Amino acid sequence: MAFDRRARRNLGNLVFVGACGLATLVALLALSLIMVSLVKQGFAGLNADIFTRATPAPGSEGGLINAILGSLMMCALGMAIAVVVGLLAGTWLAEYGGDTFYAHLVRFLNDVLLSAPSILVGLFVYELVVRPLHGFSGFAGAVALALIAAPVVTRTTEDILRLQPSALREAGVALGAARWITIRKIIWPGARAGLLTGALLAFARISGETAPLLFTALNNQFLNLDMRQPMASLPAVIFQFALSAYDDWRSLAWTGALLIALTVLSVNIIGRLIAARGTYRP
Amino acid sequence: MTDAIALEDERHMAEPPADTITLRARGLDFYYGKTQALFGVDAPVARNRVTALIGPSGCGKSTLLRTFNRMYDLYPGQRATGEVTLEGEDLLSLRDIALLRSRIGMVFQKPTPFPMSIYDNVAFGVRLYQNKSRRELDGIVENALRRAALWDEVKDKLKASGLSLSGGQQQRLCVARGIAVEPEILLLDEPASALDPISTAKLEETIDQLKKDFTIVIVTHNLAQAARISDYTGFMYLGRMIEFGPTEELFVKPSTRRAQDYVQGRFG
Repeated sequence: MAFDRRARRNLGNLVFVGACGLATLVALLALSLIMVSLVKQGFAGLNADIFTRATPAPGSEGGLINAILGSLMMCALGMAIAVVVGLLAGTWLAEYGGDTFYAHLVRFLNDVLLSAPSILVGLFVYELVVRPLHGFSGFAGAVALALIAAPVVTRTTEDILRLQPSALREAGVALGAARWITIRKIIWPGARAGLLTGALLAFARISGETAPLLFTALNNQFLNLDMRQPMASLPAVIFQFALSAYDDWRSLAWTGALLIALTVLSVNIIGRLIAARGTYRP
Repeated sequence: MTDAIALEDERHMAEPPADTITLRARGLDFYYGKTQALFGVDAPVARNRVTALIGPSGCGKSTLLRTFNRMYDLYPGQRATGEVTLEGEDLLSLRDIALLRSRIGMVFQKPTPFPMSIYDNVAFGVRLYQNKSRRELDGIVENALRRAALWDEVKDKLKASGLSLSGGQQQRLCVARGIAVEPEILLLDEPASALDPISTAKLEETIDQLKKDFTIVIVTHNLAQAARISDYTGFMYLGRMIEFGPTEELFVKPSTRRAQDYVQGRFG
């Protein structure tokens, strides 16, 4: 019966769309609950001290400036390394590697690195940088963050470059441009928005990383801008303060968490906006 | 393969005078991996004439065009054997392909403006090989845009992105970009297939203007277009050059049955 079949299809459609909607609701609910509790617990502590004073001893007053600057510096250096490595590696994979065995190997290892537990990255950098240099340092922290960001940048770079129309490549080459000139002057600028988005997403990813910093940058109670010394970071301070017995430390941890969440959220939104605006469509 | 044997038998080549031929394919085989796409193709291209390549989809006309500037080099697994010569020089064994490609311009099916300004699009190829002063470059860009019949539409917005133009304008921008480097030959791969009729008419006018200065090879699936703009036409079928000759001859009294069937619209 035609009518029965239509009714059954309509019902099936309703159930499926309903389930999708529900799942979306759950995800959004979790996100908004996190944001609400962060704002509720952390907003009160948001004052000028946060941005001007270093973390205090228990019972005295202070802010988070050492953690904020530490996070910014380590993320910036980490991203600088990751973008150079990731951009070149991703370009090679998309433009030159193709279907060769070596390319598949690199791609596979990159995927492994992409999902490697970040605490392992921290331990690895501890052995690689911290021990040979005899001490924890902001530099080691940046290297650990770079190791986490580089596979993300590599992956997004390859994906974005593959989306560039092959006619664009051919058009460059047809004018007598060498392959690398075509890539540098035509393919990269055409993919600029996507590449930037990939970098921003990688930045958002590492700005909240705690584990890789524990064995590398350690932490620092005081304001320190020397990358050769142990450095504070927002995640590490949150980790230390949130588990403490002191109310003022816990309140600072909430504020720090709010700062990270807002940063990650806005970086993500900016990244999406750039990606939506600047896509190459001939 | 009775069909293939019949194809070999039924061939007719009416070549342009030998001293006018600048670009020539002879006994050209082409392979996409293990699949052979061209079978012993001959194609003589006369200087400062428009040569059209026609034939049903998949007959190898675009493949032939792409061997003329060795575009297939970009893709591993694609290879050509046989002979392609430009002014007597063998192209297939040539080491410096980039320099060759600067002598042979190409315009593609879909417009491919580079993600940069209109001015920089046209200047791109020139900057690769020539060190020009700003004034000279301005002149070259204007001249190329004029010859591509685009100057009047863009002269006030040379700094605007090439992507901001309409599809037809973008395609003429690609023509301007191709001729700015003064190539000897211009390869056009179905340049009008993504354009509306008005843009197509403008582009055809442009091509007509350009044949004074350039040798043009155009792939088209639009028979009327081939008849309108070309001096010589090659009809290809199943990877073979079945008939080649003056356009009028091929369209009015073709020598082979297949070409006749095709130009009269019985298949394809």
